[in-house]
Amino acid sequence: MNESNAPHLIELHNVSKFFGAFQALADVSLTVPPSITGLLGPNGAGKSTLIKVMLGLVAHSSGTGHILGFPLGTAFREIRGRVGYMPEDDCYIAGLSGVEMVRSVARLSGLPSVEALRRAHEILDFCGTEQERYRPVETYSTGMRQKLKFAQAIVHDPPLLILDEPTSGLDPRERQIMLARIRTLAEKHGKTVLISTHILPDVRATCDHVVIMANGQMRLSERLDVLNRPESPSYFVRVMGSSTAFVERIRGEGHAVVIEPDGGVTVRGLDENSCGTIWRWAEESNVGIRLMRPAVNSLEQIFVDVVRGARHADV
Amino acid sequence: MPTYDLGYCGWSGDVRSAYGRWAVIAEMGIRLAWRSTWLRRLLLVAWLPAVYCGIFLFLFENAAKSGATQIILGQVGGAFRSIPEFAAVREAVETGGLETARHEFWALLLWLFFRHPQGVLMVILVGLVSPNLISQDLRTKAHLIYFSRPISTWEYVLGKATVLFVYLSLITVLPALSLYLLGVVLSPDLGVIRHTWDLPLRILAASVVLIIPTTSLALCYSSLTRETRYAGFAWFATFILGWVAFMALTARDFAAQGIDGLATASGRWTCVSIYHTLGRVQNWVFGLHHVPEQTTTAALALAIMTVLSIGILLRRVTSPLRV
Repeated sequence: MNESNAPHLIELHNVSKFFGAFQALADVSLTVPPSITGLLGPNGAGKSTLIKVMLGLVAHSSGTGHILGFPLGTAFREIRGRVGYMPEDDCYIAGLSGVEMVRSVARLSGLPSVEALRRAHEILDFCGTEQERYRPVETYSTGMRQKLKFAQAIVHDPPLLILDEPTSGLDPRERQIMLARIRTLAEKHGKTVLISTHILPDVRATCDHVVIMANGQMRLSERLDVLNRPESPSYFVRVMGSSTAFVERIRGEGHAVVIEPDGGVTVRGLDENSCGTIWRWAEESNVGIRLMRPAVNSLEQIFVDVVRGARHADV
Repeated sequence: MPTYDLGYCGWSGDVRSAYGRWAVIAEMGIRLAWRSTWLRRLLLVAWLPAVYCGIFLFLFENAAKSGATQIILGQVGGAFRSIPEFAAVREAVETGGLETARHEFWALLLWLFFRHPQGVLMVILVGLVSPNLISQDLRTKAHLIYFSRPISTWEYVLGKATVLFVYLSLITVLPALSLYLLGVVLSPDLGVIRHTWDLPLRILAASVVLIIPTTSLALCYSSLTRETRYAGFAWFATFILGWVAFMALTARDFAAQGIDGLATASGRWTCVSIYHTLGRVQNWVFGLHHVPEQTTTAALALAIMTVLSIGILLRRVTSPLRV
């Protein structure tokens, strides 16, 4: 199977990995479609081990799989040549400037020398690295090193990106820009992206698909829009002032109401055509509406439930 | 294609063969090491002994042409008095013809060139270059960058080793071959080429004997720690302590047995010092007088050291990925 007709760029079947007696991965089966996938899990869940297995950095103990159509474990050159990996660790090649490092990594991926230099500048422009690209990488701040790691991951234009904590250490503005770059690569340039992260708002803002791991097992794999969808149609409303009268009014109509920790109100049993009804209840309760939108499930709650084992039927 | 675009652009050029990527690692290492001023000074100094030895070749060749080989050997003998192999050269001059004498003298000079100035320079050069090669990658976790590319452990190690191969060649192979060519050019007799044609090959073999074990050991030390200074300290300590131990043990036997026991003691304790072990094998490579049992032991010691070093090196390089 070649990568052009592969339905999923990552396909793993019952992959296990033992370090001595410790089982880091337990029969992990996973498919990653061409989109942005968030790989979530608490510390020690096996995310990094899974990434290393996919890249051929560590050998898996059992199971089969294909990355970009190449068999797992035996075709590491082909796989690594087509994958852009951004490690979580603060890593760099000491002694080189930013542009020298990206150029060297491009050459390690097979780009000719001069073309590697041109491409390094092009990618550093895309990553927003200005004149600091000529400084030794040892002098870079954490945020600049994140951008450098991202640049080296995409310099060879890989079809698959594996990004480990890509927004770690970035300030809020840079974080938004980094997420926008990732979305640009996926939406405009057709890259498949696998993001391993602990930052759930990043997942909600960027990902199309979510995979949750815990204790070396795959606990959940689902599209984000499916996860977001509440069990019954609901609306989230935030009012100005006290919501007591508004809540009583809705309960009087027989609808379930949940008051969220941030003071907002989730009204269950209302479909997308119920806006007028909500406006009328607010008017009758003498409150002003500040925000109204269809309610979505809390990714944080889903994550906690899945990790605790309360919810794993979607696997 | 836009004239100017800061957005992301795809890339679709020809990718080079996956099996030559070690050369990129080697090139990076060579460039980084070259930035050291001390290294550049050392490389310059490394060529001076070739000029010094060239003078001896010039004197010998001119003496040989005028039939005054015995005289010139008598005059330069003072400089070589402490070298046991020199006695064999004098004997060859007395008993053999010009061909034998010439070969013996040239081989002795080249061996001395490898043994003393270049041997010491090798220790300093490797001590300057090797500690950074792997320990720095371990400290900065650069192995995650290298090994997420189409590169195997062997290629990574080969790339790093090539850095040392190149710099060691610049102080051994190239000056030694230049010395040989200088000797040929300065000789008034073109027959010297016929008599000494095998010496360039022996130079290459002696360089291999020097470069491979020392590179393996130096990279092994570099892979054992994330602190470059510890790797450098271990390297210098190995040679200095080995040297001191060899001298002390040999001196003890010399004191007990006198001058007759010196050669035996020297052979017995050779493996204590890597420097002397290398010299013993190079002695054999240049075809000088040697004791086969001692040479075999020395060669075996170097081989074991090399294999062990490479084994540890490969294990250490992959160990961060096994976590």
